[in-house]
Amino acid sequence: MMKIKILHLYPDLLNLYGDKGNIECMRSRLERRGIEAQVVSYTCEDTGFDLSDVDIVFIGGGSDREQKIVCGRLLEHKNAIKDYAENGGVIVAVCGGYQLLGKYYRLEDETIEGLGILDIYTEQGKKRLIGNIVLEADFTDEKIVGFENHGGRTYIGDHKPLGRVLYGFGNDEKSGAEGVVYKNVVATYLHGPLLPKNPALCDHILTAAVKRADPDFTELAPLDDELEKKANEYIVNRFVK
Amino acid sequence: MRKLLAVWLGKILTVIGKLAGKKSSSSPGHYALKICPDLVGCIEKYVSKGIIVTCGTNGKTTTNNLMASALEAKGYKVLCNRLGANMLSGVATAVLQEMNIFGRFKADYACLEVDEAYTPIVFEHIKPDVMVITNLFRDQLDRYGEIDITSDIIKRAVAKAPNAKLVLNGDDPLCVQFGRCEGVTAYYYGISEQVLPQLDDTKEGRFCPVCGAEQHYNFYHYSQLGDFRCPDCGFARPPIDFEVKNVSLGTPMKFSINGKDMSVNYKGFYNIYNLTAVYAALNVLGETADDFAGLLAAYKPQIGRMEEYAFNKPVILSLSKNPAGFNQAIATVNTDKRQKDVIIAINDKANDGRDVSWLWDVDFDKIADENLNTLTTTGIRVYDISLRFKYAGINVDKITHDMTDAVKTCLATDSEVVYVLVNYTALYPTEAVLKKLGGRT
Repeated sequence: MMKIKILHLYPDLLNLYGDKGNIECMRSRLERRGIEAQVVSYTCEDTGFDLSDVDIVFIGGGSDREQKIVCGRLLEHKNAIKDYAENGGVIVAVCGGYQLLGKYYRLEDETIEGLGILDIYTEQGKKRLIGNIVLEADFTDEKIVGFENHGGRTYIGDHKPLGRVLYGFGNDEKSGAEGVVYKNVVATYLHGPLLPKNPALCDHILTAAVKRADPDFTELAPLDDELEKKANEYIVNRFVK
Repeated sequence: MRKLLAVWLGKILTVIGKLAGKKSSSSPGHYALKICPDLVGCIEKYVSKGIIVTCGTNGKTTTNNLMASALEAKGYKVLCNRLGANMLSGVATAVLQEMNIFGRFKADYACLEVDEAYTPIVFEHIKPDVMVITNLFRDQLDRYGEIDITSDIIKRAVAKAPNAKLVLNGDDPLCVQFGRCEGVTAYYYGISEQVLPQLDDTKEGRFCPVCGAEQHYNFYHYSQLGDFRCPDCGFARPPIDFEVKNVSLGTPMKFSINGKDMSVNYKGFYNIYNLTAVYAALNVLGETADDFAGLLAAYKPQIGRMEEYAFNKPVILSLSKNPAGFNQAIATVNTDKRQKDVIIAINDKANDGRDVSWLWDVDFDKIADENLNTLTTTGIRVYDISLRFKYAGINVDKITHDMTDAVKTCLATDSEVVYVLVNYTALYPTEAVLKKLGGRT
């Protein structure tokens, strides 16, 4: 049986906004297709850092304070994470995790250095950007829905965004872009949590991971997503149509 | 003169509100404040013995109202914002309702529940004598941003009321940090023994608020409440001034405070904290609480605090507003060993928190124990809560947009009891449904 290993980075620190729902969603959608999902946490107490057998890395969001602690620790593994991403490793990064993948996050009184995996940077804005958000993406007809809550404005330069904002603020409030997709890295501000209500996005990510593990793999079997679609469409209909 | 105009306007609005069948808990105050911005300030003038402000994420309405009841039972006249409207406008409305047409009132004490975010604003107008902080949990994140932001807001408030004696939950590191603010006098209450199974639930505040290291626990109660110590900087649970021991969670619930036995008709472990906070505050005020149980007897719980409605079987309505509250409600449901139907209603209006991500931080899966008969989901975000169960591998028997339909269905099953767990804005509509269907409280 095929096995996909999901590494959850610092769930002890970055665990705001129900991000564990993303892990549960990936696990469930793999297992229901007969693919074994192994979820491993990497916490503050772990030592060593090895991504060689990892198929998906997940980084969630935390408070500014917790994010700073994580950042200091993650910088030690900067090269390992960068190599992994450059070699097509799948990374899902949400909110604080998204900001960490950039070059830096400039706060009022200090600048937090990021991993520099994405050529992006974030600056603290005056007002927090809070509310429901709806995106359209080019890899699926299904809209991507979620909830954003960030003080930072992220500038993504020449990177390709995850989607275009149909409702909400997005990366920097102005550009109409949200998130970044780079190789198999998906980074976004969307909570909700992100994946349960966006089954197409979840499967897009899982497909990338499974294909990397098995180049002969073609596509994931369909699942009964009636409830997922209802939850998704409820948000789309309420805010966009 | 402005004050009089404000008072009259407020009184008229209250009457209009009543005629329209509304519970005018904050709008009269809102408009009156536009005419007389310092309306709340006159509490200082007309309250003779003391002002007690209660804030914190969970339990503040219960704690505040219990405090007012206990003081009233001692024969005092008490100003209290009982309906739980806890922003400046809610406090102003309570003042208006107490005032006569000359804009005066007389009270011995003011018991005021104040929303954490509004404490610095309220403290511009009044300086409390005692400030109770019950706990800090993750709550309504889209409004506050993060728990650290709430802590900073409360610190600003504490700085504005330098003479207030703080009554703090000594089991909550996030509360204890306020006792370290400059120049404050703090008293601590806490539960000094392990009572509940040591579950690994979401401990959002388990990092030391002083240095950021992960704290160690000798035991904990729920969330981050317990006997904590930071291994790095030594920040730890302080000596407890009002100490709970000998806890027995039956009916009635029994425990002792500083060796005095209590026996109370309240459900839910968390109510021990609410009761002890009141006991502590009374003592700090210099009021004796010798007949504490007697003082509490007069108290009628606000709606939705494990409130029982009588039908062919009992229907118990419980309000929870955040993950810590829901986990506690679920734990209380689990202590009931009768066959039960459970209805969960989740809304996402401003007062609920528009972000429903928190549903995934609640151990909802624990609701499915051997005594669960049926599970029903409803509310504005019915699909989100249903998905939460789907990914926990728990079957939802009924997904409906209609609370009446949900309750009727459960009344028709052969279960022995129905629990309805709701978040904030689902509370009053649910209460209306239960009353309309003939439930007696």
